[in-house]
Amino acid sequence: MAFSATLTIDSGIAKITMSGELDASMAPVFQREVEQAAVQKAKRLVLLMSELEYIASAGLRALIFAKQKMGASVDIYVVGAQQQVMDTLQMTGFDRSIIALDTYDAGMIENI
Amino acid sequence: MKSSTVAATLDSLEAIAEFVMAAAASAGLDKRASYHLRLAVDEIATNIIVHGYAEAGLQGALELSADIDDRTLTISIEETGATFDPRQAAAPDTDLPLEQRPIGGLGVYLAIRSVDEFLYARIGDRNRTIFKMHLSSAPSEELG
Repeated sequence: MAFSATLTIDSGIAKITMSGELDASMAPVFQREVEQAAVQKAKRLVLLMSELEYIASAGLRALIFAKQKMGASVDIYVVGAQQQVMDTLQMTGFDRSIIALDTYDAGMIENI
Repeated sequence: MKSSTVAATLDSLEAIAEFVMAAAASAGLDKRASYHLRLAVDEIATNIIVHGYAEAGLQGALELSADIDDRTLTISIEETGATFDPRQAAAPDTDLPLEQRPIGGLGVYLAIRSVDEFLYARIGDRNRTIFKMHLSSAPSEELG
């Protein structure tokens, strides 16, 4: 299945809607959107993952890049991740550096 | 036994995933175990393609095979890329916050923990990596 990542930035909040399967061959597609969010100096990075069926470590590396490029103060939200994707975030300890939400919470995310 | 040969390029990852998922379906693995087996094979295949071939200036192919018996689904990858024993790779510090993490090491770490048995051998000029999933039981209990 193909992978897609679509970035929108509004009021300093960068949202990337991810769908399909994110393996190493597709990681550059995701990385480009993350870089764009960093260039735009977004204050929050929100990853909408409900349609993301698979993530490999190449996708996780883009999150490390995001945190290092955007700064530790930029919170990363992971919204609606499927169970197996969440398993991977937990096995690698990423769950402690991101904020995982079942659904998009505007009151929490947009309260900058 | 089923087998397939794919070029040692990242474009082959999709075909590799399809091969693994078809084998997992034939073996009756549940969704979670199938996902973790695919993750393990995908991560190691990526490592082989990037480090064993591309960075070593080599071209070649990955020979995949799948074998199912009463108790186990076994996937193997054989290739002639640069030698790399994933079991010798340093484990990443998963307690570090992301802003302090080095890039790398996560793929092998995930791969080894995602399958019930992980084996590697260098035989002559060939690397053989073997992934086993036990049937009719849950995958490794380390998976949260």
